[in-house]
Amino acid sequence: MNAHVRRTFYLFVAGFVGLVVMLAYWQVYSREALANNPQNGFQTQRSISSPRGLILAGDGETVLAKSVKHHTPTGPVYDRVYPLGAPFSNVVGYWSPRYGATGIEIGNNTDLSSVAGEPQTLDDLINRATGGPQPGNNVVLTLDPGLQKLAYQELQGSSTGRGSVVALNPKTGEILAMASSPSFDPNNIDENYPKIAADPGDPLINRATQSLYPPGSVFKVITAAAALESGVSPQDTFFDSGAYKLPGYTVHNFQGEHFGKVTFTKALAYSINVVFAKIAVNIVGAKALSQMAVNFGFGDPYDDFPIPVSGSSVNSLPPGQWTTGTLAQTAFGQGEVQTNAFQMALVAAAVGNDGKLMQPRLVREVRSPDGIILDKPTPSVRRQAIPADTARTLNEMMQQVIIQGPLPEAEIPGMKVAGKTGTAESGNGEPHSWWITFAPADDPKIAMCVMIENGGRADRGALPIAARLMKAYLTEGV
Amino acid sequence: MTQRAFTPMILALLVTTLGFATLIFVQEAASPPLIYGAYYAGTLFVLYLGVRILLPHSDVLLLPIVTLLTGIGLVMIFRLTYDVQGAQNLAMTQAVWILIGSGTMFLLVLFFRDYDRIFDYKYLLAIAAVFLIASTFTPLGYTVNGARLWVDLGPVSFQPSEFARIALVVFFAGYLAEKRDVLAATSRSFLGVELPAIKYFGPVALVWAASLGLLVFEKDLGSSLLFFAVPLLMLYAATGRIAYILLGGVLFSFGSFVSFLLFAHVQVRVQSWLDPWKDPDGTGFQILQSIFNIADGGLLGTGLGAGFAQTIPEVETDFVFSAIASELGLLGATAVLLAFLAFTYRGTKIALLAEDDASKLLAFGLTAMFALQTLIIVGGVTKAIPLTGITLPFVSYGGSSVVGNFILTGLLLLVSERAGKREAEGRAYNRDEPWGAP
Repeated sequence: MNAHVRRTFYLFVAGFVGLVVMLAYWQVYSREALANNPQNGFQTQRSISSPRGLILAGDGETVLAKSVKHHTPTGPVYDRVYPLGAPFSNVVGYWSPRYGATGIEIGNNTDLSSVAGEPQTLDDLINRATGGPQPGNNVVLTLDPGLQKLAYQELQGSSTGRGSVVALNPKTGEILAMASSPSFDPNNIDENYPKIAADPGDPLINRATQSLYPPGSVFKVITAAAALESGVSPQDTFFDSGAYKLPGYTVHNFQGEHFGKVTFTKALAYSINVVFAKIAVNIVGAKALSQMAVNFGFGDPYDDFPIPVSGSSVNSLPPGQWTTGTLAQTAFGQGEVQTNAFQMALVAAAVGNDGKLMQPRLVREVRSPDGIILDKPTPSVRRQAIPADTARTLNEMMQQVIIQGPLPEAEIPGMKVAGKTGTAESGNGEPHSWWITFAPADDPKIAMCVMIENGGRADRGALPIAARLMKAYLTEGV
Repeated sequence: MTQRAFTPMILALLVTTLGFATLIFVQEAASPPLIYGAYYAGTLFVLYLGVRILLPHSDVLLLPIVTLLTGIGLVMIFRLTYDVQGAQNLAMTQAVWILIGSGTMFLLVLFFRDYDRIFDYKYLLAIAAVFLIASTFTPLGYTVNGARLWVDLGPVSFQPSEFARIALVVFFAGYLAEKRDVLAATSRSFLGVELPAIKYFGPVALVWAASLGLLVFEKDLGSSLLFFAVPLLMLYAATGRIAYILLGGVLFSFGSFVSFLLFAHVQVRVQSWLDPWKDPDGTGFQILQSIFNIADGGLLGTGLGAGFAQTIPEVETDFVFSAIASELGLLGATAVLLAFLAFTYRGTKIALLAEDDASKLLAFGLTAMFALQTLIIVGGVTKAIPLTGITLPFVSYGGSSVVGNFILTGLLLLVSERAGKREAEGRAYNRDEPWGAP
């Protein structure tokens, strides 16, 4: 009889092993799939019943987003609160169990959410094992809170109230300001979303990275870089008759001016379309110009950036198929050239940083709730846009834009400033107003691009705003 | 036989204490009156000491396992009901049931040391069992969740099938031990399967069919499965004839098919097992919530108090294992299953060492029932097999189940006492072989 008893016991053992296998199937193998099943509401339920991490500005103190607890009959629920609201919402984004999330809230969700991702510290592991409170990790941004607020105010006060500002540290790639106007209040998004989404001003669009515009003459910096690389030197002279006739297209200067015999440096300082078109057509060529734009980041989708970026583009056709008219227009940033303040700020930064375009970064570090640094990216070179000596020459020429322009408003007492204007035909109303700049030009601490939609002439729209922001940052410490 | 289990007892009580401490800390829950905890720990410890004194040769390792399982059950029931309107006191009620179960078991080991006398009353027990099950059809019986399993006796209501099944195991053990030789011999064959004489097989089949039939009409599928399988396994153990298992398999397939055709509730169970997604908010809801919760646990679990097991209807009874798997993860759930396996192993060992056939079959039958019950319910909530409502021994909320399983453990201890005593005496007389070793 004992043999039969023993055999039955083995059968039971097999049964228990089968149960463990079944458990492993659900808890390990199918876990993801079941968690994401639309019938499974646990993720949403958990996400509102535990606090998300803080989003902090670059000073490590200014709170941009936090979770605030309130009690409900079914237990504590956390609301997302954004103390500084609209000036930061294009970067920080909103978070809603109903309408999803945007910005850093979704870009760094794995860090911020207490439930996504694997435990990263011993405390976290213990908390999870015991079911203890599990706040998410804190994300510290690179944004300078003062500069960001000021930039947003300036945009709101601009002629159209529509535009964007991007400022970064050229040597580290840290974004110091990224403002977009109009913006929205991310607080109480669950109630306000329908109204915000229906707003004709498109406040949900982050104009700094997601919109694309013709850059106009700020693109001449790229054309100038291509020209220098093709052997043109700043002292080379060119003749400007005020017009440059090409098959099917004639180039004119801004407001019909003509300057006669000018050096290359002066051509940039006066932003002479005719000279740039001639250089592009006769010296640089479509291929080299297109390649130079790529060197500076055109065509790069910036997939690794935490918030969405629309990649800039020079033309829908490959350079081999451009007409001379297309090439001439491209040389001064018209035609099909499409870009935004994010990309053009990076161009300015790369010129100021000896041609090295640094990896743009919005996140300085990720910390656990008890302050342990979990992730701290180090500055890295994303691309060498141009050789260092070419960059220094171009830097010098961009300083002359302000000196010979002359654009006294852009000057900052006690330091050299480089810049370039852009007044781009928008095809619809007033031209877009652009200004890119960096300072101090010999050891830059900040590079900036200001772009005002339909803001008119560069020196009346974008430039004064940038000048105030640069001065505030460099001399007043905001 | 393990005769000392002081450290395991302390460990089991510590696990329970840790569980409650965690819940009170994490959920900011009001502590249940400490006096209940003291009663619980005190009762089980006194029970352990009592068994050590009364049954000094018994396999007392069963008690720390019981302590661990009831403790985990208490923690989970408290966690799942402490803030639920109308159910706040479930953990305390369960603690009282554990107290009553311990008391029953204590009386059992105190007065039933000559337990084999009950085999003389086996027919009486069989009849009593059938009447117990049938009592739910009297006006005293009532229906919960579609199954008529309950009898209301004024102050308490109980599930007669929880006790009837133990009585039936006693009956089968007594009867099969007596008739095992004639049952093993064959007198005729049917379709190539050799069958025993109807005369001897009759009583077994009659009791079996009567209890099974009643349970099917009560819609108690889980108990039906147990009542079907346990006697079959006992028959196999007694005679060693695999033919019984095969015949049982054929009968089971036929019975399942017929009840699938006849009963809507069986069809629903099978369909929600095969494809719960077809009606995720209706018939498939319970099993899907169970699976979601189990999956939510992952390897390490969400942690006590951090899961969503309250979304499962009946979580504190039939689905308590899903809550454990959710909050303690694959590791914790496997550990709990190992505790059940350890109990099964000790029970099997008691059966192997028992001296006479009836005791051996009794220990085996009780162990098989315990193991099968665990496999059926855990298999059901993990969707390995169709779900049949049944409790997880010692862990699920339910007075009848808890008391019944304490009686089951008490009987196992009694059987082990005799085997252990003989072993000890054998050692004392310096013999190599115990008497009458089978």
